[in-house]
Amino acid sequence: MTRALYRAGIRPHLRMRELRLLVVVAVCLVFGWVSLESFRQGQIAIGDAASLAMYLVALAVIHVAFVVTGRRMDQILFPTAALLAGISLLVMNRLPQDLVVQSVAGTEVALGPLQLIWILLGFTVLAAFAIFVRSDGWLRRYKYTWAAAGICLLLLVFVLGSVTGGARLTLRIGPFSGQPSELLKVILVVFLAGYLAENRALLATGNTRVGAYTVPPLPYLLPMLAMWGIALAIVIVQRDLGAALLYFLVFLGLLYVATRRAVYVLFGIVLFLVGAFLLYVLFTHVQERINIWINPFADPQGAGYQVIRALYAYGRGGILGTGLGAGLPSVGSVPSIPAIHTDFVFAAIAEELGMLGALAVLGLYLVIAERGFRIASAAADDFRALLATGLTLVIVVQAFIIAGGNLRVLPLTGVTLPFISYGGSSLLVNGAVIGLLLALSDRGVEPPPPGIRPNAVVRAAQRARDMGGRIEEALS
Amino acid sequence: MDVFTISLWALRIGFVLLIYAFFAIVARALWRDLRAGVAGSGRALARLLVVGSPEGRPQAGTSLALDAVNTMGRDVNNSIVLDDSFVSADHAMLTFRGRAWYVEDRGSTNGTWLNGQRVEGLAPLGYGDEVQVGQVRMRLERTRSE
Repeated sequence: MTRALYRAGIRPHLRMRELRLLVVVAVCLVFGWVSLESFRQGQIAIGDAASLAMYLVALAVIHVAFVVTGRRMDQILFPTAALLAGISLLVMNRLPQDLVVQSVAGTEVALGPLQLIWILLGFTVLAAFAIFVRSDGWLRRYKYTWAAAGICLLLLVFVLGSVTGGARLTLRIGPFSGQPSELLKVILVVFLAGYLAENRALLATGNTRVGAYTVPPLPYLLPMLAMWGIALAIVIVQRDLGAALLYFLVFLGLLYVATRRAVYVLFGIVLFLVGAFLLYVLFTHVQERINIWINPFADPQGAGYQVIRALYAYGRGGILGTGLGAGLPSVGSVPSIPAIHTDFVFAAIAEELGMLGALAVLGLYLVIAERGFRIASAAADDFRALLATGLTLVIVVQAFIIAGGNLRVLPLTGVTLPFISYGGSSLLVNGAVIGLLLALSDRGVEPPPPGIRPNAVVRAAQRARDMGGRIEEALS
Repeated sequence: MDVFTISLWALRIGFVLLIYAFFAIVARALWRDLRAGVAGSGRALARLLVVGSPEGRPQAGTSLALDAVNTMGRDVNNSIVLDDSFVSADHAMLTFRGRAWYVEDRGSTNGTWLNGQRVEGLAPLGYGDEVQVGQVRMRLERTRSE
């Protein structure tokens, strides 16, 4: 068996760290599940644990697949995503099941099982990307094609998108519907990583003189203005404030990482403030969001209802929480907070697991950030480093935008909480993002094409010889 | 307080505490990675063990410490000088980029060989792989951890 694998060029490689973490995840989820079912039934019970069992088996299968294929990837990202999705499974099984009912192959499937299906599909995508992506050429080479595809997708939503919850987000093609803004964020990161890796040197060191001042190369800032324009267009046409904020923040983050110039960030913040002010003056839906944020109690039964109910939920939860199942997320079958399974899932967690649980969930996103940035800093070249940074930012910034919105730290903008909110597009895309990050962390991935760097090193070596010094001095 | 209430309370606190146990394990892994990084800096990244050298300069069995960029050749200004009659003045280069080693030929007369195959362009190599420059055969090895 092992010999046959070896002959096929596959060398199994144990992943003890990942295994240990997955065991903790499994035990933790079993505790959560038993606590939920026990509360429901009034006695210690495990109830119908089929979906939890299926989820844990899926985790084990993916772990074994990583081991057998001998991937030497990061061992912490996957268990972290698994814990987040596991918490999602618990919460979705706990919420009123008739929030979402869809018929799949003739049978009616409710919220909990539906979320299980999406989580399993998302993790399949994750594993497929992690195992089968062995080169990044398909992302690196076609960056303008990706950008064009992204813009087409955006235009398609502008024209054909249907309205959910006041925003034009959903695209329906036949029986399938999805939220392209989730996919678009990844396409955007791929394009920006390619563009910035190519023009990094110019952006980082180039200067233009305007009178007595030295400013960064202006023509290369045009993409920044284009980006700003796209974000504005999304807000105006699509009324999707969350996606616009996410795209712009990720863009600024990547620009700073690529160039290390604070000027760009300052310029970006100025653009952001100008844009935000214009939108506030011109559009009522933006004004409404800001007003709710500043004073939700102005209209407690109308516009401010959602945010106020979330604030009450934090109050009920306190530090330790009410315990799974013991909170008050629904009166009858009406959820106490509108959109509790998507935008306000963080409030549901904070109520039932308390401040400790909510902080733990935020901490899991920090773990993803740490691993992602570590992968970026160890990447073999600029494109991979920027890609890893961008993919990490997409997940983490999105988590903090929606958690901040839920907590009334930021104005509320509707984006999903990655891996926890109910929703197919979100789970599939976030699975792909983590899968790509894992593939980027693999030691066995095809080396990047020799770019400018080897030549630069050779030239430095020659210069060192001319100077009669050691090569390290010439390089430093 | 009956037994059920207490065990329910234990279950729900246990659930949250286990998430923190997850953090503890992650933090330990992080701490180990950081320590390994600190211990690893300042030492040689890896070493080349001379496996075979007919002319004896360097002698077989010599261990050559490697930096991130290593030039190999007969010229005395190379970081690794191989004084062998089949080695060109500027022969090959061995670089560590991020987390993998790469070897490339610098236009030598007799070529650079990796595990018996001639190196074209940039070739990745792992620990245990054998590089041949001229008549000198060298194996890339990890530096001992202690």
